[in-house]
Amino acid sequence: MASSQTEPPPPLPSGKSRHRTGLFIAAFVGLQFLIPLSYLVREDASDDRFTWRTVSSTEAETCEARASIQRFDGTEEALSLETLLHEQWVDYVGEGRRSVVDAFLLRQCEREDVQQAALFTKCDDERGEREFSLRCGGERAYETTRTAAR
Amino acid sequence: MKQLGQYWFGEVALARPYFLVRFVLGLLAFDLWLNMIPEGAKYAAGAFNVAHFPMFEDFVPSSGFYLGVLAFTGVLALSQALYRPHPIAITFVAAGYTLGWSCSLLDAAPHHYLISLYLLCFIFFPMLSARAAFSRSDQAPLGSAWAYVLFCVTTAIMYFYVAAWAASEGRAYWLPMACCVGFLVASLQDRVSLPALKVAVAPLVAAPITFHVIERSETWFSACMIGIALIVFAPTQAIHGLGQILTRPARSLFEEQAVEGLDERASGVFYLSLLGLVAAPMLSMLVDLPGVKTGCTLTAIAMLFVMGRQLYLTPRFRPIWRVASLFGGCLALWLSVTASTARFEYYDNAALDAEARGDSEAALELREKAERYAR
Repeated sequence: MASSQTEPPPPLPSGKSRHRTGLFIAAFVGLQFLIPLSYLVREDASDDRFTWRTVSSTEAETCEARASIQRFDGTEEALSLETLLHEQWVDYVGEGRRSVVDAFLLRQCEREDVQQAALFTKCDDERGEREFSLRCGGERAYETTRTAAR
Repeated sequence: MKQLGQYWFGEVALARPYFLVRFVLGLLAFDLWLNMIPEGAKYAAGAFNVAHFPMFEDFVPSSGFYLGVLAFTGVLALSQALYRPHPIAITFVAAGYTLGWSCSLLDAAPHHYLISLYLLCFIFFPMLSARAAFSRSDQAPLGSAWAYVLFCVTTAIMYFYVAAWAASEGRAYWLPMACCVGFLVASLQDRVSLPALKVAVAPLVAAPITFHVIERSETWFSACMIGIALIVFAPTQAIHGLGQILTRPARSLFEEQAVEGLDERASGVFYLSLLGLVAAPMLSMLVDLPGVKTGCTLTAIAMLFVMGRQLYLTPRFRPIWRVASLFGGCLALWLSVTASTARFEYYDNAALDAEARGDSEAALELREKAERYAR
């Protein structure tokens, strides 16, 4: 049953195919060099995805977060982050990861009768204390204060 | 320009791409089932999500969705590792895997991006049978495999940036830089006859091994990278010899005489394969996890795409082997989940999360399930 022949090796790309392959390789390699460099112009320094600054997952920094909403009648209401979000999101919010903070505050604005949502974070590292607030109807949270911890 | 062409399109020992695809896909499947399934409980908790990319902006993946993607990707990946990979199947694996991590920041392990890049390279790998990669003679078959070179360059770029960021922060950078250089040099070893290069490559494997032993916070990733390094850096004759030994049963089992056109076996093979495609996902009914049944059913549909014309028109046994590999994937999923703590951890995590959010009814139900699967 068994054939004694060896299958031919994969053919070498030639002509047009080789040219197309060359373009693909150039684009693939070029992007891989450029994407990590984008970290240098990122607004959020805690966002080091796709940069190879770390190869493995790192332990989350020790940060705390408090959130509150302000209603149109002027009353302020504290929110329990742990009951609203999974602990990993609480960690992101605590670190002040902008995309998560923005999404979280926008989400609070979807509640009824909310005029403003605010978030206060405190980290043990150079990020120190930060406060983000979003006046409902806006797209992006506004970082109001920043206090160095050390 | 010519030399650049020679670098990308020059010959490599076909044993390397043969082993790389199977090793990474096989390990990937078990990583998905054993390490990532327990993490699935946190998806959609609190109906909140932020994705890696804006295209998923309003999408909140549920646990069922995430686990379904893991089951789909894992079963298809393992089936490709078990029997001759197909570019369509690898494309599905790459898409499923990338969708799995990119739909939420809950999965932000840096190496998942690297695995996606690897899977993209694999689509263009030569899809070799054991017979093509390992000849019966002592001469290792060589062939052009630009995607394999791209795989090595991708790995080298990753190490380069690890070294560059370390240098910019004043940390030691020589080890990742040695890994970077090692992968670039090793990608040349099958076509350059310089004795010095051949002698230098084998000891260079110590660099990635040391790096990942030191860095070993993610054991599976370290094991994967060490395995990749061993395959890429191994001397040509060594990997060819090992391949010949390991694939001997496969070569005698899968080989058959080429028969022209259809024969009387065709209809039998067709109906048997079709039956197999329907039956294989049924194994997932024994896995009590949300989304897994759907994931496995989608794998069977993907396999139908992969087999395409082959299923109906090929009189040979290839469709049977494809279906057998799908069965193998579904069976391995079931065994992995039932023999490990993955299912317990999933329900335990889900119960803890429900308790934290004050949903005591759901927490009680999930806790009961967790206790049922406690080992």
